[in-house]
Amino acid sequence: MSISARDAPASPVLRVTGLSAYYGELRAVYDVSLELDRGDILAVIGANGAGKSTLLRSLAGLANQGARSHIRGTIEFDGRRLDKMTPEQIVDAGVALVPEGRRLFARMSVEDNLLAGAYLLRCRRTARAKLEEIYALFPRLRERRMQVVSQMSGGEQQMVAIGRALMSSPKLIAFDELSLGLSPAMVEEIYKNLRGIVADGTTGILVEQDLQRALKVCTRFCVMLEGNVVLEGRPGEVSEAAITAAYFGEGHG
Amino acid sequence: MADDNLYWVGIDLANGVLSGAMLGGYYALISVGLALTFGVMRLINLAHGDWVIFAAYLSVTLATVAGGSPFWTLMVVVPVMYGLGYAVQRGLLNHVSVQATERRGMSPVFGLMLPLLVTFGLSNVLSQGLLLVFSADTATIKNDLSYSAIRLSEDLSISTLRFGFFIAAAVLLSGLALWLKTTHIGRAIRAASDDPEIAALMGMRTRHVYAVASGVALASAGVAGFMVGMTRSFQPFDGPSFLLMAFGVAVLGGLGSMLGSLIGGIVLGVVQVLAGTYFGPAAQQVAGYLVILLVLALRPQGLFSGKSR
Repeated sequence: MSISARDAPASPVLRVTGLSAYYGELRAVYDVSLELDRGDILAVIGANGAGKSTLLRSLAGLANQGARSHIRGTIEFDGRRLDKMTPEQIVDAGVALVPEGRRLFARMSVEDNLLAGAYLLRCRRTARAKLEEIYALFPRLRERRMQVVSQMSGGEQQMVAIGRALMSSPKLIAFDELSLGLSPAMVEEIYKNLRGIVADGTTGILVEQDLQRALKVCTRFCVMLEGNVVLEGRPGEVSEAAITAAYFGEGHG
Repeated sequence: MADDNLYWVGIDLANGVLSGAMLGGYYALISVGLALTFGVMRLINLAHGDWVIFAAYLSVTLATVAGGSPFWTLMVVVPVMYGLGYAVQRGLLNHVSVQATERRGMSPVFGLMLPLLVTFGLSNVLSQGLLLVFSADTATIKNDLSYSAIRLSEDLSISTLRFGFFIAAAVLLSGLALWLKTTHIGRAIRAASDDPEIAALMGMRTRHVYAVASGVALASAGVAGFMVGMTRSFQPFDGPSFLLMAFGVAVLGGLGSMLGSLIGGIVLGVVQVLAGTYFGPAAQQVAGYLVILLVLALRPQGLFSGKSR
């Protein structure tokens, strides 16, 4: 049961077909297929180890690295085959990932981290203007632009990580564990900005532990369990009890 | 009489500090390439000293064949060394790096050992190759600046060449630091040294980025080799002694820091020259290495590195 476009006649911007991801012999994602339309926000819900992060890493090209890990299946984005590309080519094709744990360049300043996100040739000329957009979105970062990021709070670091991904002007942006380890106030602030972050026409994928919050912002969701997508739909279509049951693997198998 | 003694003590000291500091610029330029490749790729390039000597021979050959002022040879030596550095990294070292061995699912221990073995082999190939082509006779770049000096007072003077090289080293190291800080490729070099996986997510082709860093490192070794050739005589097997000195300077300054290399070079230069002045030539090397050991014992992250890595 794939999520197909209901009222949009255009073809989906992202189409994942039969995707499996392996770490050595271990299969972390099992035959996942999904489709997203332009402007959708997909929430990927699931417990630890359900394969959510691996799914995002597969999209970004990080799960296809030689002997350690590889993927099977196809990922089509904007008519291009991401599963055949390197991470460098994928970001150039318009897909950006905000990685789990933020993974900032720790010894570099806020501004250097952001500018690192604009390394691609197509981004360099507009880097300064883009920087101003990010500072408008997160004014706190402008105040601390020369600060080394390792000295900042988790929430501020998450802002830098989001800003760094936005610097490449992505058409699809994926957030891995957006609110993990942040204070409730900071989570509130970042979610308040999410609509601005995933601007018109941009597609978003959100991996989130917080079910309620995820369902509030997404246009579609899927629940993962042990590498499989066990439930998918739109918020409101499925009862929260059914989602919780799928999350814990009850009533399946 | 007492005044006279004091004057000469002061002159000795001033001469020692001045010429030591001048020597430091040259030391810094020899070591900065080593510090750069280690700082970026965690790659210890055991062939670094041999590349310096290789560049010195290249300068000598060009100057002998074409004649004229030897300074023009830099215009050939620097780009050639950059190209060699890029090619060796891209064609050889990228395949044995920590990152490459990880990709193949091998233990990280291989990632540390393989580059050491490969660059050690490269060091031997370079020095034996130089021996084959140039024989074991000493070589030097002939120039009319060798004995020229700038007189600061009646008894105080510095070598014109050393002074020029010190200024050149300070300018080049500042330029390198600025390049790393402000350009897209410089930022990519720092990013790739911090987290290669995330650097790739930014669109940085890390294999290319590493090759550029290695190219710049060998370009700096090219300038250093020219300076070696201009100020002393050298032989095919002199590489390892330059490597040892470069390690010392890099350790003093904190590996990976450009400004640290300059300060480390000056510290080593001043200590060596002063030890030579007061305790004779034999003390020169000993004092240098004592200082390095002392710094390693008390401040292993180097004198001017902000944080330990």
